[in-house]
Amino acid sequence: MKPTESDTEFSFETSRSDIEVTWKQRLGDFYREFIYKPGLVAWSDNRTRLGALLMLVYVLMGTVGVVYYRAPTSNQSPRGVQPFQTTEALLGTTGSGIDILAMIIHATPPMLIMVLSGGLFATTLAVTFGTVAGYKGGVTDRALTTFADIAMSIPGLPLIMVLAIVFSPTNPAIIGILLTINYWAGLARAIRSQILTLREESYVEASRTLGVSTWRILVKDIIPNIMPYVLVNFANAARFVVFTSVGLYYLGILPTSVANWGVQLDQAYRNAGALTGAGTLYQLVFPMLAIMLIALALILLAQGMDRVFNPRVRTRLAGESRSTDGDDTEAVSTTEVLN
Amino acid sequence: MNSYYIKRTLRSVVTLWIVVTLTFGMIRLLPGGPLVQLRAQLIRQGVDPSEINGIIESYQNLRPDQPLYIQYFDYVSSLLTGDLGESIRYGEPVAALVGDALPWTVFVMVTATVIMYALGILWGAVMAYKEGSTFDTVSSALSILFSTVPFYVFAIFLVIIFGYQLEWFPTRGRTSVGAQNPYTLGFVIDVVRHAVLPIMSIIVTQVGLQALAMRGNSIQLLGEDYVRVARLRGLADGRIATRYVGRNAILPMYTGFLTLIGFNIGGSVILEEVFTYPGIGYYMFKALEGRDYPLMMAVFLVITSVLVVALFVADLTYSKIDPRVQTGDSSEAY
Amino acid sequence: MATDDPIIRMRNASVTYDHGESYVLDDVSLDVERNEILGIVGESGSGKSMLASAMLDAVPDPGLLEGSITYVPESGSKVDILELDKPGLRSLRWEEVSMVFQGAMSSFNPTMEVGDHFRETIQAHDMDLESGMDRAHELLEDLYLEPERVLNSYPHELSGGMQQRALIALSLVLDPELLVMDEPTAALDLLMQRSILILLRELQEKYDLTMIFITHDLPLVAALADRMAIMYAFKLVEIAPTREIVEHASHPYTRALLNSTPNLDASLEEMQPIEGSSPAPINLPGGCAYHPRCPLATEECRTTVPEFERTADGHVAACHHTDEAVDRIPLNYEELLREDTLGPDGDRA
Repeated sequence: MKPTESDTEFSFETSRSDIEVTWKQRLGDFYREFIYKPGLVAWSDNRTRLGALLMLVYVLMGTVGVVYYRAPTSNQSPRGVQPFQTTEALLGTTGSGIDILAMIIHATPPMLIMVLSGGLFATTLAVTFGTVAGYKGGVTDRALTTFADIAMSIPGLPLIMVLAIVFSPTNPAIIGILLTINYWAGLARAIRSQILTLREESYVEASRTLGVSTWRILVKDIIPNIMPYVLVNFANAARFVVFTSVGLYYLGILPTSVANWGVQLDQAYRNAGALTGAGTLYQLVFPMLAIMLIALALILLAQGMDRVFNPRVRTRLAGESRSTDGDDTEAVSTTEVLN
Repeated sequence: MNSYYIKRTLRSVVTLWIVVTLTFGMIRLLPGGPLVQLRAQLIRQGVDPSEINGIIESYQNLRPDQPLYIQYFDYVSSLLTGDLGESIRYGEPVAALVGDALPWTVFVMVTATVIMYALGILWGAVMAYKEGSTFDTVSSALSILFSTVPFYVFAIFLVIIFGYQLEWFPTRGRTSVGAQNPYTLGFVIDVVRHAVLPIMSIIVTQVGLQALAMRGNSIQLLGEDYVRVARLRGLADGRIATRYVGRNAILPMYTGFLTLIGFNIGGSVILEEVFTYPGIGYYMFKALEGRDYPLMMAVFLVITSVLVVALFVADLTYSKIDPRVQTGDSSEAY
Repeated sequence: MATDDPIIRMRNASVTYDHGESYVLDDVSLDVERNEILGIVGESGSGKSMLASAMLDAVPDPGLLEGSITYVPESGSKVDILELDKPGLRSLRWEEVSMVFQGAMSSFNPTMEVGDHFRETIQAHDMDLESGMDRAHELLEDLYLEPERVLNSYPHELSGGMQQRALIALSLVLDPELLVMDEPTAALDLLMQRSILILLRELQEKYDLTMIFITHDLPLVAALADRMAIMYAFKLVEIAPTREIVEHASHPYTRALLNSTPNLDASLEEMQPIEGSSPAPINLPGGCAYHPRCPLATEECRTTVPEFERTADGHVAACHHTDEAVDRIPLNYEELLREDTLGPDGDRA
C-alpha cells in the first residue's frame, strides 16, 4: 500500500479575484437578468403581448387622453345620443348630455393611480411580511403570521366599506391603499410558504456561512427568486382594486366626487332607464367594457408572467417526458434566449 | 395532534375577540365615527340632550358617559347575550334582523360557490386531459373572458336582460310577495326562481379562474412519477384520472374554497343591492347608505365571525383530505 | 451478445426524438439470461433509464422506440413486446415484467395508503384479492417490513428505506419473472444500500427472479450482479461477467470508470475522474463516441464505430483497441487483484 505522498503539492490557496466588476457592468447584468431575459420569455407568450398592449391603451387614455379630450360636463352634447352617430360624442351621451367617452377617459387616471398605489401597497407589504416571517422563523414568524391571519380573517369588502363610510376618502392613492387594506395578508401567507422552501437552498446556506448579512441575503438571494410570483400577484391585486373600487363607487359608498366607471354604471342603472329600454343599454355597456378590458389586460399579464415562473404548466410534453433528453429538446427555445 | 386542535381553536377564539375589540374601537374611537355621527344625527332630529345618552345606549349597547373600559365591558357582555343593539332605520333589534336575513345569504352564497367549484373542477380536469386541443384553447379563452367581469357587474347585466327584458326570472326579493307557506313545492320553486340570477352571477364570473387553476394543477400532476407508475401498474384510465390526478389536484384549492365562500358573503353587500334581495348584505348596504351604525357594525361583526369560522373549519379539516399534512398548514401552492 | 436461455432478447433497440434527429438509445442489442442478475452501468444521461423503459415499452412521449424486444416466458410462446396492444401490455407489465423506479417516495400516490396501492393493482389485473394480499404480506416480510403496519400507512409515514422496500414488494406482488430496477438505492444511505442488495439477492433466490439493476454506481452493483453491461453515449460498450469486468475490463471507458471510483487503497493522484463530459444526444461525436476522452484514440476511432469484439468467454467490448486497453490503462487496485486472484501465481485464471 503506497503512502499518500506525491510530487505535486495539493494546496487550497485562495487568490483574490482579478476581475473587477464595475457599476456599469452590474447595472447591465441586473438589466439582463431581471428585465431583459424574463421580459423576452414573457413577451414570447401571446397573452403577455396582448395584455401589455391593452394596458398601454389605458395608460395612454389616462395620460394623453385626459389632456386632449374634453372633460365630461352636462349638456356638452345633445342629450341621449346613440353611440357611433356623431364624431363629437363617439360613444353616445347620457340623458343629461354628458359625453360617455369623456366619462370613461377621465375616470382612467384616478383608476390607474388607485391600481398602482393599491397594488404596490399590497405587494410590498406582503413581500416584506412574508419574507421576514418565512426567513426568520421562530417567534418573529409566529407573531407576524398570527397578525396576518387575523388580518386575513376579516372579510375585506365589509371592512373597506365601513372605513370608506367613515373616512370618505377622495385621494385615489389613499383609496388604493384602503382597498387593499387586508388583501396583502393572503399574499403574505403564500409568499411565506415560498420563502420557507427557498431558504433551504444551498446558495442561501452558502451565503449564511460566509457571514453575509440577513438583509443582503434577502435582497440578493431570495427576493429575486420570488419576483415572478410577486409580479403575477401584483397583477391580481390590481384586478382586485379595479373590481372593488367599481363596486364601491357603484353603491355610492365611496364619494362620487372622484370619477369612476362604477359611478357610470350606477347612473346608467338608475337614471337613464337602462333597465327598461334596450335603447339606453349602451350607457351601461361601455363602462362595463372599460372594466372588462382592463381586467382582461391584467389577467393576461398575470397568466403570461406565470409562464416565466412555472414552465411546467406549459405543455404536456414537458410534463410526461421522463428522460432529461426530452426536457432538453423542450427547453431549447428558452436556453437560446437565456444564453 | 390534539394540542394542535386546541391551539387552533384558541386562535379562532382570540381572532373573534380581536375582531370584537376592533369593532368596538371603530365604533367608539374613530374620528367622525359611528358614535359621533349618531349623536349628531340625534341632535339634528331634535332629540332632548338628556335622552341622547340613553338612546345611544339602547342602540349601541354602550353608555357613552362611562369610562372606556366599562363601555367595552358593556359592549362585549351584551354581545355574549346575543344583543346586537338596535337598528336606527328599522327600529328593531339587530339580532332579529340578522337572524332573519343571514340564512338566505348563506343559502345563496354557499350554493353558488359549491356549484361553481364543482363545475370549475370538472371543466379544468377535462381541459387538462384534452390539453392542447381546440376544446382546451377555447375553454381557456372563455375562462379568462368570464373572469374579466366582477360578479356584481355581471349581476346588473343579468337583471336587465333576464329580469326586465325577457322576464324569465324575478328581479327582486327572496320570494314573491305574499308567499307564505314554506313547506309547499310552490314555495320552494319560488325561492329557487328568485335565487337563480344571483347564483348565476357568481358561478359564471368565478368558474373560469377555478377551472384554470384546476387545469394547471392537473397538468403538473400528469408529469408526476406516481401517475406514470400507476399507468405501468395497469390501472384503468378512469381510476388514474380521479384518484391519482383529480384527488391531488384539488388539494391546493381546498382552503381557497372556504375563503371564497367568506369573500362572497362579504360581496353579498353589492350583489343583494342589485337584486334587492333581503339578505345580510342588503341590510349592510342599507345601513351604510343610511349611516345606521348599530346595524352596520353588527352586520360587520356577524360577517367577520362567519369568515373566522369558515377558516377554522378549513384548517381543521384540511388534514383530513391531505394525509401528508400533520399540523394543518395547507399546501399553499397555487 | 447472445446467451443460452434468454428471458429477454433485445435487438437493435433505438429510441429517437424529433423524427430521428437525436438518439437517446442507439442500436442496443442485448440478451438477458434467465435467473441472472444483470447490472447495467452508465453515467447520468447515458441512456440507461431509456433502456429500462424500453423493456416495458414505456418510453415517454414523444420518444419513438424501434427495434425488436422479445420476451421469452418460462412456459408459453415468445412475446414481441413492441407489437403488443393495450390489453397485451397490461398482461405483460407487472405480471411478467415489473419495474422499480428511482425515488420510491414519488412512486406512491401521497393521498393513498400503501395497502390500497397493492389492492388496486391486484384488482386491476383481475386477480384474486385475498391470495394477492397474502402474497403481499409474504413479500413484505421477506423484505423485513411489518406487513400490517406498512400496509396501513401513508407513504410519507415511512422512512426512505422502508418506502423503497415497499415499492419492491409492490412490483413483485403479481409474481413477475423479470424485475427491472432503475437506481433503486440512489436516494438511500450507504448502510441501507447494502441491506437492500442483500435482500434483493435473497428475493432472487426465493422467487426465481431475473433482475436487471441499473445504476451509475459500479462498485455497488458489482457486489450483486452476475453479469454487467456498461453503457456510454446511448450504446452498450462492454458486456461481461462481473469478475471479468472487475479484473480484466477491456474497454477504455470501463477501465477509466473503475479507476475513478474512490478507493481506500489507491493514492490521491491515482484516483482520477474522467476528463471531459459525456455527449448530449444532439451532439454525438463521429466514430466511437468515447474517442474525445480516450487516451487510446486513433484515427480509426474518430471515423469508424467499433463493433463488439470477443475478448474472452462471454466477454465482449466495442473498441478498436481492446488488446491494448489492459496494458495502457492500469487499474489502481491491481495490487489487490493480484493478492485476491485464484490462480496461485497471480496470472489470468
